[in-house]
Amino acid sequence: MAKFQDIVEEARLSARALLDYGDGFFNPTVRLGVTGLSRAGKTVFITALVHGLSRGGRFPVFESLATGRIGGARLEPQPDDAVPRFAYEDHLRTLIEARRWPNSTVDISELRLVIEYQRKNGADRTLTLDIVDYPGEWLLDLPLLTKSYRQWSAESLALSRQQPRARLAEEWHAHLATLDAQAHEDEQATLAAARLFTGYLRACRDERFAMSLLPPGRFLMPGNLAGSPALTFAPLEVPLDGAPPRGSLWAMMERRYEAYKDAVVRPFFRHHFARLDRQIVLVDALAAFNAGPEALHDLEAALAGILDCFRIGRGTFVSALFRPRIDRILFAATKADHLHHSSHDRLEAILRRMLDRAATRAEGAGAAVDVVALAAVRATREAQVQRGRERLPSILGTPMQGEIANGETFDGETEVATFPGDLPDDLDEFFRSERAFRGLSSAHADNTDFRFLRFRPPRVESVEAEGPALPHIRLDRALQFLIGDRLP
Amino acid sequence: MSERTRRPQTFKLDDPHVAVIDAEDEGRLARGTIRITPEADAALLPVPLEEPALPARRGFRWATLFWAALGGLVLLGSGLGVVNLVEDLFARSEGFGFLGATLALLATLALLVIVAREAFALTRLAAIEKLHRRAMEALLSDDAKASRAIVQDLLRIAHGNPQLARARAALTGHTKDIIDGADLIRLAERELMTPLDREARRLVSTAAQRVSLVTAVSPRALVDVAFVFAASLRLVRQLARLYGGRPGALGLIRLMRHVIAHLAITGGMAASDGLVQQVLGHGLAAKLSQRLGEGVLNGLLTARLGLAAIDVIRPLPFTALPRPALADLAGDLLRKRDEA
Repeated sequence: MAKFQDIVEEARLSARALLDYGDGFFNPTVRLGVTGLSRAGKTVFITALVHGLSRGGRFPVFESLATGRIGGARLEPQPDDAVPRFAYEDHLRTLIEARRWPNSTVDISELRLVIEYQRKNGADRTLTLDIVDYPGEWLLDLPLLTKSYRQWSAESLALSRQQPRARLAEEWHAHLATLDAQAHEDEQATLAAARLFTGYLRACRDERFAMSLLPPGRFLMPGNLAGSPALTFAPLEVPLDGAPPRGSLWAMMERRYEAYKDAVVRPFFRHHFARLDRQIVLVDALAAFNAGPEALHDLEAALAGILDCFRIGRGTFVSALFRPRIDRILFAATKADHLHHSSHDRLEAILRRMLDRAATRAEGAGAAVDVVALAAVRATREAQVQRGRERLPSILGTPMQGEIANGETFDGETEVATFPGDLPDDLDEFFRSERAFRGLSSAHADNTDFRFLRFRPPRVESVEAEGPALPHIRLDRALQFLIGDRLP
Repeated sequence: MSERTRRPQTFKLDDPHVAVIDAEDEGRLARGTIRITPEADAALLPVPLEEPALPARRGFRWATLFWAALGGLVLLGSGLGVVNLVEDLFARSEGFGFLGATLALLATLALLVIVAREAFALTRLAAIEKLHRRAMEALLSDDAKASRAIVQDLLRIAHGNPQLARARAALTGHTKDIIDGADLIRLAERELMTPLDREARRLVSTAAQRVSLVTAVSPRALVDVAFVFAASLRLVRQLARLYGGRPGALGLIRLMRHVIAHLAITGGMAASDGLVQQVLGHGLAAKLSQRLGEGVLNGLLTARLGLAAIDVIRPLPFTALPRPALADLAGDLLRKRDEA
């Protein structure tokens, strides 16, 4: 039965791909997936990208715009009727007028941008860019497709018994100890287990711990499935082999886990992920630095998981007829404006290092992988701070209301100069040790080795008719990598 | 991370112990004051880049095809002629026949070697031009990986120049440090190009002086023209050798074409920067003597040609080092004349 289901699934994917291909022949289209774990800056990235393309931002490295070959870019109604539209205008207004960061992505959304350009040989062409914005947590769900409930349970439990997660999972673990997997199914016990498990996942995501690897993703952003059985299950202590007794708690959990895969993960894979051409994964490495070494290791594991998804997309589900088309993946360390530019290379080196093992596999599967440190909207300026003999490469900006540094809480109006700490030079030592540096998870806020404040969006003056240009760092390089070759 | 000493720190700008000052402003401040110097935004600075020395080619090269085909025909024709000649020689006498055949073989061998060397020289020139383009792109994109590759290639080209041994060693040491892409290119330019630029400037100014002197004393215009032409060729060849290219005859022709094309593009720009000096110099000299004025003018033209040649031949664009200006060389030229 499962075999038949797989064949149907693949036939549908292939038909869709053929249809897309025929369409793309006359009207070239690039589907750009933008993802990243929560608070990585997806919304800001898309807003800045669309704004820069449509009003002609300062993008010297983005060749086709810099040389003037792009005549213009305009928004058009998006093709997928069942997907919410990315509220570009609202986000832009929030960013520029209210000087606040837009609210975070909780669901998938899409925007279509049509770029009119002239080829190098002189012919007039258009390129349709469909930007698909989806939470990175959904991406981390994809590996579940190849895992059984037993495997997933074992992995989740093992992960939750490491520090600092174990502290946060105490309540759930206590409840788990009262459950017997072989016992008769019990809705109330399952509800309690799911609630405690979700609470543990939510606690892990707090700024002080900044954990990244938290599947299943929909538990944290349930959307319209909230409360449904597909979202009401939790790991159990079950043996790695053997089948659940009929009517047991284990059987119910396993059924719901499979339902989660069918109702949530597979449709996402089919309707969205499998149709992407290019992918950018935004990573907020600085939040992990704020939190501590555990968060950094967790982020590394999550990135490996994400990269595995791209590999999974190639190997397991797909027949030779249909190939997932993602051929370029860009990993971007966002919020590079929170660092002096002399540290950007180190930030890139750290991200590259975290991706090292997994990236070679993705490259082997035919996708080009690159790493960049960027800031889609640059909120700071740079400065040298001199105190006595000491010179600190620092940044100037206005911290958000409620940010704390040196025991002082900022009101969102005061401008400060801050030196966030030196990023490490020797990565081997840095990644080997669990005690490499102190973060918020183990030390008081005034005693950490890194402190990256969150800044308000910059004040931009509207000097030109089309509105102000948003300052950025290397957004043009990201664009050149992602779509530069499709604008020949 | 025990050796880390710099802790994260935050300073409020409205704190009385904090002073925000400009980079130029080095006034005395009270002791214990924290100085904050805002830096210019690198992204907003105008990028000091030149336009490409040559417009990019496009389309099919019909002219190349024509010359290649014609060359082939001529070669075939002359080959046929030689074969006929050798046959005739054999018919007349066996000794002459062998002599003719040997000469023909030697000529063929020499031709092959010449062609191979020309081809090698052309690829080398092309490699240098490509390096120049790549360096310019790397300066824009600030791509660390690309700039490391460029510096490696540059070191390979510079390997033939023993004067640069020390600079090469210094640069090789730096390539392993963590340096921004564009900064690495600038570093390479400072290390490797400084001695070469100095030598290039000397070459150009020597050639310009020689031309102006000969023009001033030569009896006939035709001699002037021939001499100026020969001196320009010699200058371009010397410059190419200096910067690592080893042009043969074909390579020299190609270089001259590029130099002249570059001169045509930048002519307007250069006219404005050097015009004052030129007019002044020419005017003064011409008051003394008409021939002297012509000499100075010819010398200046040669100097300008030399500068254009430097732009075309130099493997890196001018970013960290100042581009030699006509004004400097014109100064040399006039000073020398006064002494002479």
